[in-house]
Amino acid sequence: MASLLQPNRVVYLVCGEKKIRSPLSQLYFCRYCSELRSLECVSHEVDSHYCPSCLENMPSAEAKLKKNRCANCFDCPCCMHTLSTRATNIPAPLPDDPTKTAMKKAYYLACGFCRWTSRDVGMADKSVEIIYQEGQPDRVLVFFHVTQEKYGLGTRLQRQRSGAPISSLAGLSLKEGEDQKEINIEPAQALDEVEPLPEDCYTRPISLPEVTTLRQRLLQPDFQPAGASQLHPKHKHLLMKRSLRCRKCEHNLSKPEFNPTSIKFKIQLVAVSYIPEVRIMSIPNLRYMKESQVLLTLTNPVETITHVTLVACEEGDSDDINSTAKVIVPTKELVLAGKDAAAEYDELAEPQDFQDDPDVVAFRKSNKIGFFIKVIPQKEEDEDVTVSFKIRHDFRNLAAPIRPSEESAEAVPEAIWLTHHVELSLGPLAN
Amino acid sequence: MADKQNVQKSVKIAAGAVVCVESEIRGDVTIGARTVVHPKARIIAEAGPIVIGEGNLIEEQALIINSYPENIMPDSEGVEPKTMTIGINNVFEVGCVSQALKIGDNNVIESKADVGRNVILTSGCIIGAFCQVNTCEVIPENTVIYGSGCMRRVQTERPQPQTLQLDFLMKILPNYHHLKKTVKASQNTKN
Repeated sequence: MASLLQPNRVVYLVCGEKKIRSPLSQLYFCRYCSELRSLECVSHEVDSHYCPSCLENMPSAEAKLKKNRCANCFDCPCCMHTLSTRATNIPAPLPDDPTKTAMKKAYYLACGFCRWTSRDVGMADKSVEIIYQEGQPDRVLVFFHVTQEKYGLGTRLQRQRSGAPISSLAGLSLKEGEDQKEINIEPAQALDEVEPLPEDCYTRPISLPEVTTLRQRLLQPDFQPAGASQLHPKHKHLLMKRSLRCRKCEHNLSKPEFNPTSIKFKIQLVAVSYIPEVRIMSIPNLRYMKESQVLLTLTNPVETITHVTLVACEEGDSDDINSTAKVIVPTKELVLAGKDAAAEYDELAEPQDFQDDPDVVAFRKSNKIGFFIKVIPQKEEDEDVTVSFKIRHDFRNLAAPIRPSEESAEAVPEAIWLTHHVELSLGPLAN
Repeated sequence: MADKQNVQKSVKIAAGAVVCVESEIRGDVTIGARTVVHPKARIIAEAGPIVIGEGNLIEEQALIINSYPENIMPDSEGVEPKTMTIGINNVFEVGCVSQALKIGDNNVIESKADVGRNVILTSGCIIGAFCQVNTCEVIPENTVIYGSGCMRRVQTERPQPQTLQLDFLMKILPNYHHLKKTVKASQNTKN
């Protein structure tokens, strides 16, 4: 039943500027504030730029100069796939002796997906392997400058405002100290007389392969060609690696490595490595107003023993807007063993001795337990049965500086109790 | 299969064609010279003969089938057997299914593509990977069908015949596979 493991079945509530419900795998945990953070309550900063096909790193200044495009790689204007360079042998006269001909290599661009080639637009085959595109006039850039000055977005003061979509234009601002020139663009003038349509406008059959789609047209905003024979290849857009920063305490939550080929992180404060994760294991047939037992699992990501208490939401809880069923959670505290990476290799390990109530705990396996909750669906409609409860667990903050105590040399970080609101989507009622 | 002998005799393989023994060829099939049929390819002539031209490349798990249309029972009378004609220099990539009755020259049917019975491919057409074309039409020359939405465009030049690949396969395949015996094609096969 892989559908029970879909990420959006179990969502955690994040109390930030906005209340966001998101699966735990997409959340971050600030261990300095001891709170969950989602992508909307952190500030995103660009770390580095790289090309997705040649994986070449580019410093930000150079990226800005090249308008965030790679110099070597091209995109097919027809299907946006990456173009590859192909070679053909053509007979060409030798430069010394015009009568003899030798085979020379000529290179052209071709798309492996839609079979577009650079010869379709009339670009001649080049004898140099890397085909550079001549620079096109930058009408789009001029327009951006004017709108920036008009709306007062030209300075770097805007960096503090995170989440603003215009931050991509902040890179286009002029250097400090330069005078901001007013670029005058004449407003369009309305005319009375318009060019008449061509006479064969109604009778000429449309050749559909010759007409560009809107998407193909808008990817080249400065020219927007209407005919497919004017679609020139564009340089490939660079992608960027971003780092995330908690807005309240300004600590980094996620910082990737600089190398484009590496997928690891220097700092990776993701929620799944700090917060116990609830997953649905099996759901029986749910019937209206009948109590059923649902089996859930709880996984402990840290290496110390964690104590977890589940609390049902009270009446009138402001977070509890989605639940359509009553839930009865186990009242006792659940104890989760720590995650021990070497446990499978250690044969002499003593089996952990937890006194488990068989009515509550179905099974226990290293750092995971399966437990039952009772669900009574309250609504007979066709929607999914949703339950919610609060999960309270202890968290030991290993990152916070430990005040040296006078008595013992070993300092055990104190445990603080965190509470999260969890919502589960259990699927529709049976039959 | 009691009449396997009779059925196999109807398979005519021209000299110069390389047809591996592991391929399944049933019915009245004519295969032209310089055609390579990989192992596990299936050419099934149920509802009529199949004539395959020269220089074709039929890769593994490709299925070329001349089958009865869905609403006609095999035993009903009045059904004339229609011949499926395949031209020269076509490529049927791995896992494709072709039921088209008439295929011209220099076409490429890419992996896992599905061409229906009422489609007629002219020359230079490329049916992209996993594209299902089951319309009732003649595909114009040099058309490329690609993408999940079966977008179309016209290319300016036809795809090149795979001569290098064919020569290589004709040298290498006999080293690793037994080949079906070539039988001279009879006089009244159509090209």
